[in-house]
Amino acid sequence: MSTPELHDFSCVVVAGTDADALRQSVASVLDQAMGSVEAVLVDPGTDGPARAAARALAADQPYRVRLVRAGGPMSAGASRNLGLDAARGRYVIVLGDGELLERHACRNLFDAARTTGADLVAGRWTRLTAGGRKEAHPDWQAQLHARTRSVRDLADVPELVTRDALVTGFCVRRDFVHDRRLRYAEDLAHSEILFGVEAALGARVITLVPNLITTHRAAPDPARETSALAGAHDRVAGLLLSLGRIELCDRRERAFLSDHVLPCVRTFPQLTADERRRVTAGTVPHLEGRADVRALSALDPVERVSVRLLAEGDTEGVLAAAYALVRPGTVVSELTEREGKVYWRADGLDDPRTREVLDVSELGHQHQPPARARLLNRLTRCSVEGTRAVLEGHVVLPGGLVPDRPPLTARLDVRTRGRGRHGFRVPVQEAHYDGGAVVWRATVDLTARLRDLGIRDRVWEPRLRLAAGGHDMSTELVAEQETVGNARGFTVTGANRLELRLAPRHRAARTLRAALHYATHFRPARKVRLRLRALRRRCDRLNGRAVKLRVYRRVLRRLPVSKGSVVFESHMGACYGDSPRAIHQEIVDRGLELRCTWSYAASADGFPATARLVRRWSWRYLWALGRAEFWIDNQGFPHALAKPRHTTYLQTWHGSAYKRMGFDEARLKTQNAPQRERLREAVDRFDHFLVRSEHDVHTLARAYGIPEERLLRCGYPRNDRLIAARARDEAAGRFPRPPVAADLGIPDHKTVVLYAPTFRGGPPKNNKPVRLPLDVREFAARFGDTHVLLVRAHYMEAAELPVCPPGTVIDVSAHHDVSELLCLADVLVTDYSSIMFDFALLDRPLVHFAPDLDAYETERGSYFALRDEAGGPVVETQEELLRVLAALKQTDGAWAQARAAFAARFGTYDQGRAAAGVVDALFGERAGDSGKKGGGA
Amino acid sequence: MTTTPATAAAPTTKGRDLFLVANTVDELGGVTAWAHQMARLFQGNGHRVHVIGVHEAELKLALPDDRGYPVTSLYAKHPRTPRPVHGLGRLNVVARGRESARIAAKRRAVDRLSRLFRAARPGAVAIVTQVWPMEWIREADTAGLRIIGMSHESYAYTRACHRYRAVKRSYPDVDRWLALTQEDADDWIIDGMHNVGAMPNALAHLPAVPSRREAKVVCSIGRLADQKGVDMLVDTWALVAPQRPDWTLRIYGAGADEAALKRQCTRLGLDGSVEWRGRTSDVPGVLAESSLFVQSSRGEGFPLALMEAMASAVPCAAFDCAPGVREIVRHGEDGLLAPAGDIGALADRLLRLTGNPRLRNAMGERARVNVQRFSEARVLERWEALFELLER
Repeated sequence: MSTPELHDFSCVVVAGTDADALRQSVASVLDQAMGSVEAVLVDPGTDGPARAAARALAADQPYRVRLVRAGGPMSAGASRNLGLDAARGRYVIVLGDGELLERHACRNLFDAARTTGADLVAGRWTRLTAGGRKEAHPDWQAQLHARTRSVRDLADVPELVTRDALVTGFCVRRDFVHDRRLRYAEDLAHSEILFGVEAALGARVITLVPNLITTHRAAPDPARETSALAGAHDRVAGLLLSLGRIELCDRRERAFLSDHVLPCVRTFPQLTADERRRVTAGTVPHLEGRADVRALSALDPVERVSVRLLAEGDTEGVLAAAYALVRPGTVVSELTEREGKVYWRADGLDDPRTREVLDVSELGHQHQPPARARLLNRLTRCSVEGTRAVLEGHVVLPGGLVPDRPPLTARLDVRTRGRGRHGFRVPVQEAHYDGGAVVWRATVDLTARLRDLGIRDRVWEPRLRLAAGGHDMSTELVAEQETVGNARGFTVTGANRLELRLAPRHRAARTLRAALHYATHFRPARKVRLRLRALRRRCDRLNGRAVKLRVYRRVLRRLPVSKGSVVFESHMGACYGDSPRAIHQEIVDRGLELRCTWSYAASADGFPATARLVRRWSWRYLWALGRAEFWIDNQGFPHALAKPRHTTYLQTWHGSAYKRMGFDEARLKTQNAPQRERLREAVDRFDHFLVRSEHDVHTLARAYGIPEERLLRCGYPRNDRLIAARARDEAAGRFPRPPVAADLGIPDHKTVVLYAPTFRGGPPKNNKPVRLPLDVREFAARFGDTHVLLVRAHYMEAAELPVCPPGTVIDVSAHHDVSELLCLADVLVTDYSSIMFDFALLDRPLVHFAPDLDAYETERGSYFALRDEAGGPVVETQEELLRVLAALKQTDGAWAQARAAFAARFGTYDQGRAAAGVVDALFGERAGDSGKKGGGA
Repeated sequence: MTTTPATAAAPTTKGRDLFLVANTVDELGGVTAWAHQMARLFQGNGHRVHVIGVHEAELKLALPDDRGYPVTSLYAKHPRTPRPVHGLGRLNVVARGRESARIAAKRRAVDRLSRLFRAARPGAVAIVTQVWPMEWIREADTAGLRIIGMSHESYAYTRACHRYRAVKRSYPDVDRWLALTQEDADDWIIDGMHNVGAMPNALAHLPAVPSRREAKVVCSIGRLADQKGVDMLVDTWALVAPQRPDWTLRIYGAGADEAALKRQCTRLGLDGSVEWRGRTSDVPGVLAESSLFVQSSRGEGFPLALMEAMASAVPCAAFDCAPGVREIVRHGEDGLLAPAGDIGALADRLLRLTGNPRLRNAMGERARVNVQRFSEARVLERWEALFELLER
């Protein structure tokens, strides 16, 4: 192209209908930190405020704003093409409706383009959220733009074409646009999607930068846009196919389902019936042939089904599926069971391909007892006549859940929202089975007993309680806005819950309420509220950690000692267990005159009632620590708390070391001097440190720099129970099992497998539970009849377990004492958790399941090679693990010797008298008669 | 307030006015050395340079007499830290007096800065090489002046200390905020800064005589301070020495930790193979006698020591503790990197390099070529490109 470059950048802005948005867009272009930027303004083609604004802008700054006149109304694509033709800059940016350019955007793009010679430079962009106030970026963007990088092959950054990434926030070289004859498709509603993909496919070099380029993109509106977006998507998919980029096309199809189709399904409950029908009709043609097993395989079961139903044009089915999507775990359809599998519905199961899509066994509804099932209860009618409201609804109740259909009784429980202290009941006149559902009708008298009991109790939530046979089911009422309409007293929340909002009818009550509202809302009242809130914050600060620490340092730890007081803590207050528990038990058994205090982190459940309980970091906790004569703990009281001079600190520690610990750990070594000094001071508080073998002396004690004279070579008190259990095994056999078995409902004929993996990261992020390396569902399917799997996640993590048949998989993460579980287990499966050292004492089979052993060893470092010294087989795949478990009886004999060596090496001092030894060593003369008691913890 | 006038004739008029603003102009330290190096380069390229420091240092660096550019300090000694008086403190007359004197002195310093800036010709640029001087520049008259802020440490290092807040307060609105590497720049961008670029430090010169890598000597040059991680180096050497009895580790540098480090060395029985050589002023000479360079720092910015070693054709083994290290040394090509703090891995790298002369030679030769991408000429080109970008 021969037109000279007059500017570095041309920004094409197409005037829409909103004059204000146009002015802001143009202002964001003219305010660029880079000066050589022109705005190419395409006139809307029709008279109106936008055209006037465009003319005024061009007249105001003729050298930087160029107006391109459109002959008449034209499509967005055609207008943009006019702008592209008129651009005179070296690089071109096209802004969408109302989008703003970040102040440094052009300079950043120019810098990147110039240094890398790229044809296309893309950065981040944000769009408005549905509320219209905040901005957010699509969730895949952070990964795509994490680093500045240049790519020549799209296979390295498939997201650029598989997601709608290049719809804004990028610039292209103008010569490149003209050489390749890149133009917007004038017949397409979302032509920017196709343009971005064409540009990416044509560019020789693409540079991705993490900079924010454009903001204020319009919020997505799935219900309205999806069919138009699907049109653009069809063209892109066709283009990719024609170029032979089949892999990209496949990924794009999948991304389209999760980015556009599923969000569209999720909006269904908020739409009216007409809108739903329109959306379905608009999407069906595009989904034809796309909703097969292969395309859907990456989706969750409910997502899979909802796309399928949408492709079939089943509007009502999609609505139900949408409810299941927004309320996970809800039963919304008449599930059908066939050959051990559960399907969404009974239709079309003869076709194996359809059957695979409709298979929802994974959801585990079949294992849920009726009382625990969440059933969809949709309101079908809500009419208010005078003071009477008639409610009708439809509860999905699959035949499999309550097969014999016993007679029904039902009532409505209405409670205030929130704390739900007040409530009343309304009888349901009619409730009967109707195929796989229950249909009910109730009449609520809106005056008689319904008055709010407190000023705040104005919102009430009804729930339907169904009693059928022995089952008691409680369901939430959901409704679409359309069903309720403007029925007096009823509203539907944003999440489609039905609410009852009462308004006073009589004048006196109305006046009283208005007066109350005024009293609580007029300006002085608002001011008082703000003041109160500030005061509360100030009080909270007094209770904050900084103040507590100062008081502890200056006052509490200087208080006189309280003779005979002991503070216990286990795993930072997470549980009542481990060695501190065993020592506490020993103290109680001997009847020593000591005052014991236990600290708990979140809840005092399961902690002994005989001890004084204090919450971690509470004032009482600090008081107890400041005055205690003894501290006993297995991980470390808060590092910031210096030990009082009169206190003796017993650190029992929580396990022998396989991975590198303390100052042997690379992470600690690279910390700066003050950070390392803080840890050193925390460790210096220990007066006694328990070790269970010379291995501990060489690893833990050395890594933390604990001098020889502070080591107590007496083993771990928590393991006394294991030694005793082993003695009992040898004398009397494994049965009867310990009482925990009965508590967990484990029958004698089942083999108990305990799965306890180690800690793999920090505490759960964004409340997302950790995914276990072991697929417990498969375990349940293979071994469910003969084995029971106890899963114990690390005490600093939470695991998410899928629903499995009852009695096959039990989550014991919340159980306080691991030793009890170890005594119960017949087999332990772990990776390299320190639990393996303890379990070896029992001389029972042990399997190391460590898919990431080598990576972990390289990253974290270890003290010995597990494969060479393990006490049981080390397996790396789930298949191998299951094979080993199946053949355990035959192969275990070969491991007996290795196991004995393992136990002897790592548990030399665990002889069953640790608790007694510790109590003797620590409490000396007070302990008195330990000799007579033996290892009786 | 002192100004040392330019001692050589001011060069041509084609260049622009550049102000290099640092904490001090004459302190013994990396950033000051860098500022004078760049001032010399800019001056040589035809710019009019003025180096400005907030105050005069106590431990002075001897400035060359023929530098050819003026140097100014705003204060004679370290200015007082702001201590705003409020609440009951207002009754304290002495504190109020001190504070108002501080404010008046600051006003004078700012006025002086404004005068200097106003006298500059159009197109002038102020390069703020450290975070602190921005406190004065923010208040000065900077109309028509472009301001470039710089960070001389990695993003992670700044993030962990008090400077992070100062950066986020003062630098989002300057024309450009420069990190040492693109990786650090990306981190600042993701942190929400929009005006970020990257600019490496320059390698001062290429020694005429590279090392022949024949002596069985590993050398380390750096302050004996915690940040340089010499304690980890000694631990590493304890793993290497038994397998390489004929090799020697020479540690150059002095510092507060010297005594403790020597004790550690004796405790590990390494006295036979470790030589403590103290501070050196002849870095190329030291490197010419060595075959390997090792760096075990806890934190770095854009380490000059690595570049100097590579310029002498000495291959490096280093902890990968900052993006700057990865940027200079290409792992497996012209040196070997180990995960930060992983002593076993660093020992492994040293064993590989000490045990394989061919690998050592190949990497050393490649290092000498590769490090020239940070030569003064190349870095100066990037600066000129940046000035030009800011004018667009």
